[in-house]
Amino acid sequence: MWLGDSRRGKFASNVMGFGRMLRRAGIPVDSHRILSAQQALAHVDIGNRLQVQAALECTLVSRQQDLEVFRQLFDAFFKDPDLAQRLLTQLLPKTKSANQQVKRSPRAQEALRPIIRNQPEPSHKEDEIRMDAAMSASDRHRLLHADFEGLNASEFLLIEQLVREIPLQIPTIASRRYRPSNLKGSQLHWGKIMRNMARHSGEMVEIDWKSPSQQPLPLLILVDTSGSMQRYARLMLSFLHQATKTCRRQVFAFGTQLTDLNAAFKLHDTDSVLADINRQIPDFGGGTKISESLLTLRTKHRHAIVANRSVVLLITDGLDTGQPNDLERELGWLKRQARHLLWLNPLLRYDGYQPLASGARILSRHVDHMLAIHNLSHLQELARSLARLLYQVR
Amino acid sequence: MSGLTAGSSHAIEHLISQLASVGYHADRQLAVALHLSQVLGRPLLLEGEPGVGKTELAKAIAKLTGRELIRLQCYDGLELRDALYEWNYPAQLLHIRTCESAGHDILEQDLYERRFLIKKPLLQAIEASPPGVVLLIDEIDRSDEPFEAFLLEFLGEYQVTIPEIGTIKAMATPWTILTSNRTRDLNDAIKRRCLYHWLDYPDREREEQILQSQVPGLPEQLSKQITGFVQRLRQSEYAQSFSRSPGIAESVEWAKALVALDAINLDPETVQSTAGVMFKHREDIQALQPMLDELLSVQE
Repeated sequence: MWLGDSRRGKFASNVMGFGRMLRRAGIPVDSHRILSAQQALAHVDIGNRLQVQAALECTLVSRQQDLEVFRQLFDAFFKDPDLAQRLLTQLLPKTKSANQQVKRSPRAQEALRPIIRNQPEPSHKEDEIRMDAAMSASDRHRLLHADFEGLNASEFLLIEQLVREIPLQIPTIASRRYRPSNLKGSQLHWGKIMRNMARHSGEMVEIDWKSPSQQPLPLLILVDTSGSMQRYARLMLSFLHQATKTCRRQVFAFGTQLTDLNAAFKLHDTDSVLADINRQIPDFGGGTKISESLLTLRTKHRHAIVANRSVVLLITDGLDTGQPNDLERELGWLKRQARHLLWLNPLLRYDGYQPLASGARILSRHVDHMLAIHNLSHLQELARSLARLLYQVR
Repeated sequence: MSGLTAGSSHAIEHLISQLASVGYHADRQLAVALHLSQVLGRPLLLEGEPGVGKTELAKAIAKLTGRELIRLQCYDGLELRDALYEWNYPAQLLHIRTCESAGHDILEQDLYERRFLIKKPLLQAIEASPPGVVLLIDEIDRSDEPFEAFLLEFLGEYQVTIPEIGTIKAMATPWTILTSNRTRDLNDAIKRRCLYHWLDYPDREREEQILQSQVPGLPEQLSKQITGFVQRLRQSEYAQSFSRSPGIAESVEWAKALVALDAINLDPETVQSTAGVMFKHREDIQALQPMLDELLSVQE
């Protein structure tokens, strides 16, 4: 660094500073990108603000959703880097205070504590009579963050065990890609045959076959986290996170609005996933507006659903408080986009259940398969039902 | 340094006017991205809603540079043999049989001569002689991850290895344009190798220019009305009633349709009867009907 020498290095280090600021704002900028930004700047007029912005934009940003943040930070930074710095600290106020206290996951906590055998069973708690939102739905737009704890050790073990013992069979489709097959396949593997013939002076010694490989379909999971479903949400989300780890999945939670859980589900540790979900879902335990959530999915997260491919898994009790017409329209859209529309309904408490609520009626008309569960609080049953539901599609 | 920057400013302006001369009206930001992709030899990844002119841009570049346009249309399950090369098996088989009947020995290398090689788009693009070609890799989001991983290597080095022949390196770097409709998010690794540009719907003025240059015989009054109408449709309060807002391609088609019908003015009846050009879903056409009067009443 040549301090005070305006001919050298100053602009380059500014670009680096800018790149690092973008990174702190959550835009994935690595050193390779910063390098290409610097290269790009050598080819535009650096006296021209618009050209500089365009050059930085096409090298540093590669997602549409980052463009707005980029433009704001660009304006701020190249006017006054200090101001931008202050803006950025406002963006991230909470992380610092959270870092100060050591927070252990319940699993770690439990490992540290001597094991107390006679803890009350968690199911006893549910027998208490209190205001209960189950079996009812409200249209209030209640803003409430979930307060999940992490998983305790026994829950963690149970989930791991269930994932292992009841594997989800994701429906597959014959891909257009071919694999050599040992048995008689559907097409001749000419490449292999030719290579063998060349080796055996033109004699065809054996016939090699190939057949299309199977490819799992992408999964779109929509989980209801409204009042009537809230008590199941924690274990259900943990289980889904573990069980669908290997698939191409898109996960959203919905209540009165849609929340994108994909970032949270990318984390490996289930506890961090739960912590992240806590932070993200703003309408936990509120009302259910399926149609509005689907509208958001259609307009803002369109790319989450692969047309004619995605298997859509709806986990909701169908107690919708929106307009039936809207629900009809949005479900119609979803049905046309999805390869299979599956509905896991945890409302069923008795055997003679009929989907009578208007939301549930519309849902049952549109979905390809519906499966009802008696009691979602038993994780085993959830796992088994999910596996059964996905199996029906095959 | 100042000479270089003034030169690049000039080059960008020149690029805009050249593109306009072949009927593509680019804004300055896109021109900067294009200019950079040319001088840095990096692929340009264009993302945007369907029908905003991603594919057209590659065609326009090919036209103005006089280079050949090689297009690779991606789809799910696209394989190397469709994208890169394939051996001509029937010809090889024939060759073996001919050698046999003539009593020649068959050597393995004879079988893998270049005349038995069928070149697919990517190999064609690499083997082109200078100044190279314009390579359009269209709708890359439709291909699957394994193909994306292969492209990663291809776009990084511009060379391919064919086991029977060896490594072929590009004589001239193809000017590569990738397009994506964002039906899925692309891998970050491939984005890092590209320059990125989000193609938005054009502003009103630019859309009018496009209509004027693409649709011969379009009355000015009508072109103003069409752009005004389409621009309003894309505003969020209307857009969310439709599964997809009309892009530029749709407004151009619509203008052509209206010219063919000798329309001079937009009225509800004309719009309703030609709505199928803009919208391809029955639900969308139904949703348009109740808001027609409102949309047309703000017509200036």
